[in-house]
Amino acid sequence: MSQDARGWRIALVPDTLINAPAAASAASPDVLEVLEVNGYGVLQLPPPGEHRLLLAAIADQVAEYAHHGYAVVAIGVRGEEGDGLHWRRLAPLLRHRGAALPPRHIIRTDIDAAAETQRLSAFLADYDLPPEEQRRWRV
Amino acid sequence: MQPDGPRKVALIANCLLNQNAKVCQGAHYRGIVSPVVEALRRRGYRLQQLPCPELAFAGVRRWWAVYEQYDTPAYRDHCRRLAQAIAPQIEQYLRHGDEVILIGLDGSPSTGVRFTSSAPDWGGRPNRPQDDWHIVPRRGIWIEELEAELARRGLPPLPATGWALDMGRFDKAGSQRDLEEFLDSRDVAVGAHGEDAAAP
Repeated sequence: MSQDARGWRIALVPDTLINAPAAASAASPDVLEVLEVNGYGVLQLPPPGEHRLLLAAIADQVAEYAHHGYAVVAIGVRGEEGDGLHWRRLAPLLRHRGAALPPRHIIRTDIDAAAETQRLSAFLADYDLPPEEQRRWRV
Repeated sequence: MQPDGPRKVALIANCLLNQNAKVCQGAHYRGIVSPVVEALRRRGYRLQQLPCPELAFAGVRRWWAVYEQYDTPAYRDHCRRLAQAIAPQIEQYLRHGDEVILIGLDGSPSTGVRFTSSAPDWGGRPNRPQDDWHIVPRRGIWIEELEAELARRGLPPLPATGWALDMGRFDKAGSQRDLEEFLDSRDVAVGAHGEDAAAP
C-alpha cells in the first residue's frame, strides 16, 4: 500500500455548486475544480428541502473529522436559501456533537467569475488548523 | 435539454469526492478522485454523493477490515438508517425519469459493487501480514443494504460499477478503462431504450 495521500481538509458544499445549472456555471467558479486544485475533499449538502436524517448523518461525519485533526470549511452561495448550507438545521446538530462551526466562504454570483475563483482559492489555500493541532494528528 | 427533463445522475461512493473518508493508508488522492469526477461531468452526469457508513460507524481512525468483520446486525442497522436517509432523493430522481447509475468502490467491504474484500479468519489484534485477504465477486455491505432499501420502495435495480481503489494494488489505467466502458454502455443502453432510462 502506498503512502497515504489524504489532504486533511474538507469542504461542505451545497448541491447547487456541485451540480450548477449550465447558465449559472459560466457565471460562477467551478467549485469542484478549485477544491481539487487546493486538495480538499467534499461533503455534499442536499438541495433545499427537508433532509433531517441526511443532515444528521452529515453532522456525524463533520464532528468526527473535526475531533481528529481535519480542517473543515463550508462554502455557501449567495441567493440560495441559507446560502445553500442548511445552516439553521446543521448548526445545532454540530453544536450538539461538540463540533465548532466551520468557517464559511460565501460565493457571490453577481461579480466576475474569475475574481470570485481567486477569492475562493485564497480562502481555501489560507485555511488550515494551527500547526500544533496538525502535528498532533497528522502523523 | 429542458431544465425539468430527465437527467443523468451518478450516485457516487463518499470517498470518490472525499479521500479523507478512507481508512488510514488507503487514500490515493488528497481529496477528490478527479478521474472519476471528470469522466462523469464530461458526460453530463449530476453527482450525488452517498454517505460513508464506515466513517460514521467506526470513525476516521478505524482499523482496516474485511466484509466478514462488518457483517454484523449493528452495522447492517446503521447502513439501513443511512440508506433511509439518502433513499428519498434517489427515489425522487427515479420517479422523475432520470437515468441513475451507481459508482461504488471495488474491493471495499462496504462500498464494493463488483468485488469486496474477504478474510473469514480476520479478527483480534490487527497485525496481519500484507495481502492476506481475498477479493471476491460480491457487493459490499453498504451497497447490499442500499439496494435492499431501494427494492423495498419498489424501485428498479441501478446499473452499477466500481472504481477499483481497494483491490490491493490500484490499477488506475484499468479502473479508468472499466469506468469509461461502463459509461459508454449506459449511453448505448439509454439510447436504445429511449424513455426507459431507469432500466438496468
